[in-house]
Amino acid sequence: MKIEWRTILGASLFLGIICAIYWFWSTEDTGTALLLFGFAAYLMLGGYLLLQWKRRHGIPRSEDKEDATYAETAGEHLGFFPAASIWPAGMGLGGIFVGVAMIFGNWYWVIALPLILGSVIGWSVESEAPEDVPDEVEAARRQDTNIDPADIADTDAPAHP
Amino acid sequence: MTIIQDRPGPQPGAPHGTLVEEPLTEFVPGPRPRGWVKFITSTDHKQIGLNYMVTAFIGFLTAGLMAEGMRTQLIAPNNHFVTPDIYDQLLTMHGTIMLFVFLGPFAFGLANYIVPLQIGAPDMAFPRFNNLSYWLYLGGFIVMTGGFLTNNGAANFGWFGYAPLTNAIHAPGPGADMWLIGIALTGFSGIFTAVNTITTVFCLRAPGMVMFRMPIFVWNQLVTMFLVLLAFPVLTSALGLLWADRHLNTHFYEPGGGGQPILWQHLFWFFGHPEVYILALPYFGVVTEVIATMSKKPVFGYKGMIGATLSIGGLSMGVWAHHMYTTGAVLLPFFAALSLLIAVPTGIKFFNWIGTMWRGTITLNTAMLFTVGFLAMFLFGGITGVVLAQPPLDFQLHNTYFVVAHFHYVMFGGSVFAVFASIYYWFPKYTGRMLDERLGKLSFALLFIGFNLTFFPQHDLGLRGMSRRIAVYDSNLGYNFLNALSTTGAYITGIGVIPTLINIFKSMRTGAIAGDNPWDGQTLEWATSSPPPDHNFESLPPIRSERPLWDANHPDELTRVGH
Repeated sequence: MKIEWRTILGASLFLGIICAIYWFWSTEDTGTALLLFGFAAYLMLGGYLLLQWKRRHGIPRSEDKEDATYAETAGEHLGFFPAASIWPAGMGLGGIFVGVAMIFGNWYWVIALPLILGSVIGWSVESEAPEDVPDEVEAARRQDTNIDPADIADTDAPAHP
Repeated sequence: MTIIQDRPGPQPGAPHGTLVEEPLTEFVPGPRPRGWVKFITSTDHKQIGLNYMVTAFIGFLTAGLMAEGMRTQLIAPNNHFVTPDIYDQLLTMHGTIMLFVFLGPFAFGLANYIVPLQIGAPDMAFPRFNNLSYWLYLGGFIVMTGGFLTNNGAANFGWFGYAPLTNAIHAPGPGADMWLIGIALTGFSGIFTAVNTITTVFCLRAPGMVMFRMPIFVWNQLVTMFLVLLAFPVLTSALGLLWADRHLNTHFYEPGGGGQPILWQHLFWFFGHPEVYILALPYFGVVTEVIATMSKKPVFGYKGMIGATLSIGGLSMGVWAHHMYTTGAVLLPFFAALSLLIAVPTGIKFFNWIGTMWRGTITLNTAMLFTVGFLAMFLFGGITGVVLAQPPLDFQLHNTYFVVAHFHYVMFGGSVFAVFASIYYWFPKYTGRMLDERLGKLSFALLFIGFNLTFFPQHDLGLRGMSRRIAVYDSNLGYNFLNALSTTGAYITGIGVIPTLINIFKSMRTGAIAGDNPWDGQTLEWATSSPPPDHNFESLPPIRSERPLWDANHPDELTRVGH
């Protein structure tokens, strides 16, 4: 996680600096607003990743460990991958008809809305991802104290304060 | 207190350089549709990636035919092959389809197909969301092209749709709206794909695939997707404002109501400049993969390559107004400086590509030929880019054919050549069969000659003052011969695509069986069967460097870590 949030926050910082220089040099509004948007968007994303990293107490995931083995993640923690589904196509068609309504007139909403609403319902009841929290993170969350980094067998996990 | 004590330790039977034999995961098999049902409902990233790439290639052929139409119009002075209005529609839709339907989405298709394979993931992070973004993209393609079927024809104001030309007075009728909505739909599709790819790369890497072991292709796609995330929302908002101007009588871009036409230029180019890097960076990744594999060497300067990609991505967001020098309303030194700075990381990339080939065992097959063609052509486009980044020169050359030539050297000589390289490189993975090398080399020769014959004379045309986007020109301006030359080249380029098309259709059925790893590849997509099974991998080699498969296949030549 560390490289991820550092990269994104770095990009945010870069845009922030560019934005400041641009504003004081050109005093032009549009570009400043756009650069500010870029700064804020990356700040939000990088900040989220930073928070996730903190929530894990810096415990690296197996994809962040240089010497990780496949046995560590085999089975339940890999992710949730639904089978084939018709609902995305229905929703896509609905989305296209929203566009068509914006071109040719509002009555196309009569087609678009049922498609979108129906697909949202179908999609959401179709299947549900099982809750998926790795054991050591769950344990850390519950106890939240005194995790000895040596027990987690990792190089770049800082001790939890 | 031990937390992970009861977890299994490292596999004793899997030392560095051998395959883990047991299956990675157990999946409950879902229904497996076939044919059209599979095409419509599949959540498999490979199927969706192929959908993207095939649709994008159809877009390439469509827009390519439009280009042939335009070049036929320009073959001789005062020609009347098409009317000026049709010509304007052709040039608008050529640009729009090439950028929004072909080059970008082809890269998204590669991201869909290749990225999960290269990081050892079973699928994209949000498979159904992925399917949705394909449908929005296809809808956008159909809607924007459908403009040709309306009474007033398709949009005719150029692919960057400058403000007064796009309002309800200058562009009446649904054609312009269809252009606008079509782009918005592909824009949403792009944003969804970006979210999906970023999540996949951040959360679904195989154990041991740390960020700095990911193939350069994955890094480039990641940076591209971050650019998409920033650029496309801006474009979609700008299009929303334009739609409001056209339908709700607002005045965002109307000076009469207190709006600013130049606002559109700022919004469009704040999208538009990162966009051309969105269309280039994935293809930088493609050529990096091809060069490394075909030279049988690790990527030279791996971290420098990543740093260069990140710098290009960052800088690309601060250079948008170099398209607007001649408006007189932008800060020239700021944009000139940042634009010129981009040459530095691009130079690093060229150095590293050549460094990767240096003293390698090079296989000069079709994929590698297209890649070397890419290097030469993209370098040329980059150099004219440096020329255009300098305000004094840009004031001379703005809106001339010099810009057209520059842009096509970057986008065709660069990205499209890399598209062909990617087809020849990864086709065995998609289908399990090899493409024919003779047809491929014929295609390369025709494309290389035709492309240069088309666009090299356009530099000179621009220097002679020929303006872009004109449908007719007089015979006494000195443009005649160069235009005839350029059109001849365009025909040769068009013919050059045909061998590849024949090759694809022929080799899908009768090509030589490829096997899992025809190129002695280095990255994980070659560790699975061709085409890969559902959820991709039966087993994976341990990942201990940026080329895990090479290490598994060549235990005596392990990749040095930390070079």
